[in-house]
Amino acid sequence: MSLKSSSSSPNLTPAHILGRIGAGILGGYVFVWGFIALSLAGLYAVGMPFHDAEAFGSIIGFLLYLVVFLWAFAAQSMGKVWLVLVGSGGLMTAAAALIQHSLV
Amino acid sequence: MFQNFRLSMAWLHTWFGLVLGFVLMAVFFFGALSVFDREIDRWAVPESRFEPQPMPSFDNLLRPIFEKMQPTKTDIEQFSSRANGPMPEHFDTPVRWGAYTTHRDPVLNIFAGYEVPNAIHHDDAIFTSSTIDPRDGRIFPDDSLKIGSQFFYPLHYSLNFHWMDLGYWIVGFSSLIMLVALVSGVVMHRKFFRELFTFRPNKATQRSALDLHNLTGVVALPFHFFFAFTGLVIFAGIYFPVSHTQLEQLHDQHEIHEAQVTGLPHDRAGIAAPIASVDAMVAEAQRRWAERGMAGDVGFLALSHVGDENGYVSIYRAGTDRVALTGEGIHFKASTGEVLREDPPRTVVANVNEFLTGLHLQHFRHWLLRWLYVLGGLAGCVCIATGFIFFVEKRKRQYVKQGSQNARVVDALAVTTVTGMVLAAVGMLIGNRLLPGTLPAGWPPRGNLEEYIFWGVWVLAMAHAFWRSAPVAQARMNPAWVDQCFALAFLAPVAVVLNWITTGDHLANTISAGYWPVAGLDLALLVVAGLAFIAGRHLRRKTQTESATATNQLGSAEVQHG
Repeated sequence: MSLKSSSSSPNLTPAHILGRIGAGILGGYVFVWGFIALSLAGLYAVGMPFHDAEAFGSIIGFLLYLVVFLWAFAAQSMGKVWLVLVGSGGLMTAAAALIQHSLV
Repeated sequence: MFQNFRLSMAWLHTWFGLVLGFVLMAVFFFGALSVFDREIDRWAVPESRFEPQPMPSFDNLLRPIFEKMQPTKTDIEQFSSRANGPMPEHFDTPVRWGAYTTHRDPVLNIFAGYEVPNAIHHDDAIFTSSTIDPRDGRIFPDDSLKIGSQFFYPLHYSLNFHWMDLGYWIVGFSSLIMLVALVSGVVMHRKFFRELFTFRPNKATQRSALDLHNLTGVVALPFHFFFAFTGLVIFAGIYFPVSHTQLEQLHDQHEIHEAQVTGLPHDRAGIAAPIASVDAMVAEAQRRWAERGMAGDVGFLALSHVGDENGYVSIYRAGTDRVALTGEGIHFKASTGEVLREDPPRTVVANVNEFLTGLHLQHFRHWLLRWLYVLGGLAGCVCIATGFIFFVEKRKRQYVKQGSQNARVVDALAVTTVTGMVLAAVGMLIGNRLLPGTLPAGWPPRGNLEEYIFWGVWVLAMAHAFWRSAPVAQARMNPAWVDQCFALAFLAPVAVVLNWITTGDHLANTISAGYWPVAGLDLALLVVAGLAFIAGRHLRRKTQTESATATNQLGSAEVQHG
């Protein structure tokens, strides 16, 4: 936790740190948004009451946010973190939009 | 990023904890005070010092008040950005009337919402609220601030910083970081359970600060995790407004569908209709709750589509005997009083959700748990504050060698968020008692002045902490700690005395009458003063030995103290 041990990391440049923080906050947000949207639309589509689906999505969603935020800093490859979070978040968001489109 | 998992967790814990810890201090402290927000209200608004009251008669008392209610100038100004063109002067179509109370409220909160013909969103409504005396319908002045429930309570989730809801977002992100800090803190420590029982108060400050940091973090770990997490869940609709943006069409479709299933109209019919006796509906609701063997206090009463053929009255049971806030709603047709619907038992997900949020908001009757919440919140403050102190103690000698001012800044901010924050709260209470009942014309509203005093004292405490911080750059203690402890030891009793002088309610009176809302806050202020005095004396002794050692070992960077 001291500066000494962390500064011995070769790639701890400000740009890299900002990249990690961005991955944790923004990547995590996109991912959780997608999860909440998909679970809301998907569970509602299979018959769960609307507000139940919404509550389920946010309860699990915040726990997921915690996990992916930690992962953004622990993972070896930062590029992979960005790709997985934004990619799957985007896919889930799109899937939710499709479900809404088919229901409304 | 780092060689191993533990190091990356340590980095997260240190730097995110440092930056957002200052926000979390305020969240935990004012969250702890919010447990007794209604009691603080009684202290701050002496006219409301009477026993909690049940929901009053709607027909005789509430209805005439609702009929006269209109949005205030401030309400109208705040709404104007959501309307096309100038706002109307008078609002004629009430969308909703509501009255809300708990087992701790002598006063009753009521609100009314009105249609705005030129609103940008056709569903949007302008809301206004009032506080009334439920015994006689007297309306409390707009500018009297209920410091507990209208200032400390919203401070702990929004920082009272409402520009673009930014306060909510800062607190929300800080809550996520609280969860991160808890997980990463556990990962950092191998000897997790030993730390439950380790506190070495007589070791060097760095060691005892770390012990206390671990102790308060680990003992109250479930509490900290639960409150940070449920705080996020409560405001999920703000942080992830999925159903009001991306999935709004789905949400609207659901609402219309739900109105068909429940029989509670979604829109007005456009045909005027009278309102039948709401008191009779309350009696019927209570009869039905009694049939199910439930306590029959009304917690929330609401009229929707007021004055319209589609109008209905919803009556909810107060949340005194269970974790969920209000419930077992029974809905009546407003014009006839016939029962439209009884809410069905909650689903599993709704139960989980209401349990999580209800346990955070704690509207039920359980005084022991209430006190445990206060202790948990204060343990959170101790945990964060000792984190700052450990940060400074660990690095200050290194920073001295580098000629860095970092330790000075962190330490001054720690002073600001520990003693400075308490000083601001006490200063606000003193201001509340010193401001005259009716202010001279042209002054800002009384409640606003109290808020300015709060922020003013806090800024002064911060300026003082920075001004006195030079010794930290030489690895010594900031004398602002001592100054502010003594300031607290003096000012907290001043608030108690002012309460006595201005209201006559001194401690002997309130304790013998068993009026705990006011006696409790007075006693708490005296405890704060006592603790601040002990801490101030201890720290002053420490600075004295410190400077003595420093003169003895002049020029040595290895200054140690016991």
